[in-house]
Amino acid sequence: MNNISRIKDVLKSFFAEIGELSFFTGRFFKEVFKRPFEFKEFLRQCYNMGNQSLFLVAVTGFIIGLVFTLQSRPTLEEFGAVSWMPSMVSISIIREIGPIITALICAGRIGSGIGAELGSMRVTEQIDAMEVSGTNPFKYLVVTRILATTLMIPILVFFGDAISIFGSYMVENIKGNVSFLLYYNQVFNSLEFSDIIPTTIKTFFFGFAIGLVGCYKGYNCKKGTVGVGIAANSAVVYTSMLLFLIDFIAVFITNIFVDI
Amino acid sequence: MEKSNSEKIRLGVFVTIGLLIFVVAIYFIGEKQKLFGNTVHLKAIFKNVNGLQIGNNVRYSGINIGTVRAIDMTNDTTITIDMILDKKIFSHIKQDAVATIGSDGLVGNMIVNILPGTGNKPSVKPNDVIASFSRKSTDNMLNTLSVTNDNAALLTADLLKITKEIIHGKGSIGLLVNDTIMSGDLKQTLYYLKETSKGASETVLKLNKLIASLDNNNNVIGVLKDTAVASQIKHIASSLDKTVADLNATILNIKDGKGAINYLSNDSKLVAQIDNIVTNLNETMTNINHGKGAVGYLINDPRLAKQIDSTMTNINDASFRLNEDLEALKHNILLRRYFKKQEKAKQKAAEKKN
Repeated sequence: MNNISRIKDVLKSFFAEIGELSFFTGRFFKEVFKRPFEFKEFLRQCYNMGNQSLFLVAVTGFIIGLVFTLQSRPTLEEFGAVSWMPSMVSISIIREIGPIITALICAGRIGSGIGAELGSMRVTEQIDAMEVSGTNPFKYLVVTRILATTLMIPILVFFGDAISIFGSYMVENIKGNVSFLLYYNQVFNSLEFSDIIPTTIKTFFFGFAIGLVGCYKGYNCKKGTVGVGIAANSAVVYTSMLLFLIDFIAVFITNIFVDI
Repeated sequence: MEKSNSEKIRLGVFVTIGLLIFVVAIYFIGEKQKLFGNTVHLKAIFKNVNGLQIGNNVRYSGINIGTVRAIDMTNDTTITIDMILDKKIFSHIKQDAVATIGSDGLVGNMIVNILPGTGNKPSVKPNDVIASFSRKSTDNMLNTLSVTNDNAALLTADLLKITKEIIHGKGSIGLLVNDTIMSGDLKQTLYYLKETSKGASETVLKLNKLIASLDNNNNVIGVLKDTAVASQIKHIASSLDKTVADLNATILNIKDGKGAINYLSNDSKLVAQIDNIVTNLNETMTNINHGKGAVGYLINDPRLAKQIDSTMTNINDASFRLNEDLEALKHNILLRRYFKKQEKAKQKAAEKKN
């Protein structure tokens, strides 16, 4: 009996969380088209999230490309299909690995950052103070951050993809003595619009999810300073879960519309 | 404020480069699919496209020159493929070029291969339909392989049956394999064959020598090989032919009842008369040989022969002297004119003949 009530409680809290998140999303769309537009704050957030994350994304992307090629190469060599390496690397990085890895890194860095920042502001009643002073905290803090993540994640993914493919080329050049021109030709020969367009659309949703969950967790932070840590932590966990869910739905929809 | 400006610039650079990467990628993918350059449409009709898809590459002599833009089912057996091709390459495609559907490598995507036509034909025009050739699909090959497999199974079953029978000593081969005496005989046969082949090789060597010696003029064939001799033989052969032909004609005449021989062969009375004559002649000749009668005396008496001989000598002498007398008469005044007239008459006759 206790277990059933526990499950009931978990389900209730889960659906309540989803409901609250939905209201939060609705409020975002309501506020985003309303004046005043906090453009300076939006640019600051873009800089913080885009430029500040570039190094991390670049290093991760480079290593991912490098390792991915190093690990796949022996298997392809067994089949005598090393010439397929650029095609395989480019398609897998552009379609899936690049966006999801970049998004997960950003969820860790940006999502937790937003959760912690807004959570501490909520705990220290800075948000309440803003409301009292007549500033719309949701518009200033939430809308700008969500917009910034939505627009910056795709750009970070472009960088991440390009650097990953370059990392892969480095391995191919060292191991197989492949020229840059040949590698570049093989990469673009294997790519189609059906590879690049759906994946780019997907990254906007990734960015939106990172910003939304981070802001939601931080904005609704409770239980004092402990709550800040919980907000930051749960922001990363929920965002990661949501990213995989979005990725699954995106691949499913892409498969329906584009014959891969 | 300064910090804010530098942040803005950095952000601007970041966004610009990021978008540039995206735009460049889009441009290269689009260029590869011939979306941005000058392109021309070309069509081909197939019965089966073997899984060809929109966007698959089109190759001409191994160069990627475009992509498949549309695949339309015209009717139940006709599929029209619309291709967009690079305008620069388009002028090189002749009207008798042939489109085939192949695969890019063993497990690669399907592609349309345009095989070049001959140089004599004019170039294709936009929206032209070129000839196509449907290759055997993998399914067809697998179907054929399936039939081959069935046949192989039947063959192996038959072979199994045959080998069993051989093992049990049934049939000629079974007997051959299992019979030890036959194997001994075979060995012996092989030995004799070996010996025979040795003898044959020696014979061949001798024959070779003989053939080589035929080139010399010391033997009959060598002489025959001489061209002069050959021409002579030819001449003889032709003469023989002619003679045979004449003989045939004569025989035919005889058969037809022409000439004396036929008369002789067919008239029994004449034959009897001739027989009689020959008998008489034989008798006469016998008499002559025995010196009977005038002719016998003439032939058999040596004194008479001597007298005749001396008479003939005297006649020769007398005729010589007569010739001298006649020559003297030619120069006589009385008769000279007569001889001159005769000479002139002879000359005139000779001139007329000429």
